[in-house]
Amino acid sequence: MIRTSKITHAVRVLFATLVGLLMAAPLFYMITNSLMTTSQTSDLTPQIIPDSLHFSNYSDAVSGVTQVIYSRSFINSVIFTFFVVLLQWMLCVSGGLVIAKMRFRSRGVITALLAVSLFIPILTTLIPTFFVTLKIGIINTYPGLIFPIVAQTGFGTLLFRQYISQIPDELFDAARIDGANWWTILRRMVIPLARPATGAYVAISVLTAWNMYLWPLVAAQSGNLEVLTQTLANLGNQTFGGTHPQNIVYAAIVIVTLPMIIVFLCVQPYFIRGLTGSGVE
Amino acid sequence: MSELSTVNNLPAASVGPKRRRPARRDGRAAFLMMGPNFALFSVFIVIPIVAGLYLSFTTWNITTGPPKWVGLANYTKLFNDPIVGVAVGNTVKFMLFGVIPTVVIALGLAMLVNVRFRFVGVVRSLYLVPAAMSFAASAIVWRYIFLDGPGYGVVNWVISQFGVAPPNWLVSTTYALPALDVIAIWLSLPVATILYLAALQRIPVSVIEAATLDGAGPMRRVRSIIWPMVRPMTILVAIVALLSFTNGSFDLVNILTPTGGTNYATTTLIFYIYQQAFLYGLYGYAAALAVLQIAIIGGALVALRLFHTLGTRRG
Repeated sequence: MIRTSKITHAVRVLFATLVGLLMAAPLFYMITNSLMTTSQTSDLTPQIIPDSLHFSNYSDAVSGVTQVIYSRSFINSVIFTFFVVLLQWMLCVSGGLVIAKMRFRSRGVITALLAVSLFIPILTTLIPTFFVTLKIGIINTYPGLIFPIVAQTGFGTLLFRQYISQIPDELFDAARIDGANWWTILRRMVIPLARPATGAYVAISVLTAWNMYLWPLVAAQSGNLEVLTQTLANLGNQTFGGTHPQNIVYAAIVIVTLPMIIVFLCVQPYFIRGLTGSGVE
Repeated sequence: MSELSTVNNLPAASVGPKRRRPARRDGRAAFLMMGPNFALFSVFIVIPIVAGLYLSFTTWNITTGPPKWVGLANYTKLFNDPIVGVAVGNTVKFMLFGVIPTVVIALGLAMLVNVRFRFVGVVRSLYLVPAAMSFAASAIVWRYIFLDGPGYGVVNWVISQFGVAPPNWLVSTTYALPALDVIAIWLSLPVATILYLAALQRIPVSVIEAATLDGAGPMRRVRSIIWPMVRPMTILVAIVALLSFTNGSFDLVNILTPTGGTNYATTTLIFYIYQQAFLYGLYGYAAALAVLQIAIIGGALVALRLFHTLGTRRG
């Protein structure tokens, strides 16, 4: 009995590993291909292992005649992601506190509106959001790129509300009796206590912002504001005609996605907690 | 605290159901603290939803000035536009053939990795790491896997080893949409798997052990224990997948089939909206199409909800 279950266990582990490798295979394929020569990637039989490691593909992707990634879009992506996450975090943590612990009349309505907004992706309100942003006069500027995304506070606010509502009321009452106002409570008590929620929120929002494509495509029509997803998308269109060699394109994708993959692997527990409201063992 | 005692001391009659609100009121502080959040939310989320409805009754082109009221003209046009039917069909197909496999495969994967061994964390990372990829990056990685380049892509190479002529995936009218679905499924699986894994881990190990001792085989355990226990999570998995496929139905289409596919094969509704607005400048018409899009997403959510309620009642 014990013997069989040990074998079953070993088979399960092996099978789980193999399927996992299959799931990640496109990423391994991307990395190995990014290190090949052009002639190897264009071999009629798909190649898995590079003959030798051509790290020069990476420098070729960011400089010289084969350059496909420009520092400008890298910087734009960093600016976009940084400000979206920072500003939205400020709004969400304070909003979460308000909804979780403060008493006021329209609390239910606001909570409901935020919840409903989770089901309305920006794609569906693209035209009117563009219209409003245009009317305000900030299309093709950093604020126009950033603020409409910062405004999507539904997920974050509800995430923080969930977390903050688990902090005992007594702590808040005690702080109030000691004469602390709500801003002090936010700064001194809620933000430090809600650090795990902040971790979960940042993990999810950084990925979302870095990977966002449609809004930048519409709101940043001038090349000066181009973000990396747009750069990659253009590569996709051009490679249709085979303008760029596959190894250089793959090197470019590795350069763009590797930071996020590393970030993801580091914050994976936070990411999972943000999605499930609890950890996974 | 003094307010609290005041309310408690009031005669019961005046503390009617309407008055039984929390005693402490933080209206002012709440207003100031929630203000920036809600103001921005209103300007860029609430107002656009209303403005979208208004725009759908107008013609508007950025170059020709402010929107002009045209009544129901856009909606009449919408019902007579043959491409709208095609786009709605493509959207529904893309969602169905994307969300259903995602739910089923994710449950399988979650059961697979719900096992303990020393390197389980590393193995799980293999499953989850696609979550770090954008649609844009994955689109291009998969393009080469499917076909492109001077040689065959991996998929077509494997197919041709069986002596079958591989399809030209992205140009084909039959295979282009399924190809995009494969990419979107791959990208949606990590989050779906995480959600199911969390649900699976709430099932006490003792329950499953007891069932095994009572002679329940693997299929029986899935049907009688695991599925009933994770079913509540399925609605969430499906909703999250649905929203992810909504995004994918633009990003992947626009990057991999920038013209909307051969004979509109991959023209999804969102892509068509984008084309009408930002390619042809028909913003009013696009807004009317967007109303249709919201109706479809709303319909899908209601259907999911109904499906869920019915299933729960029967089970």
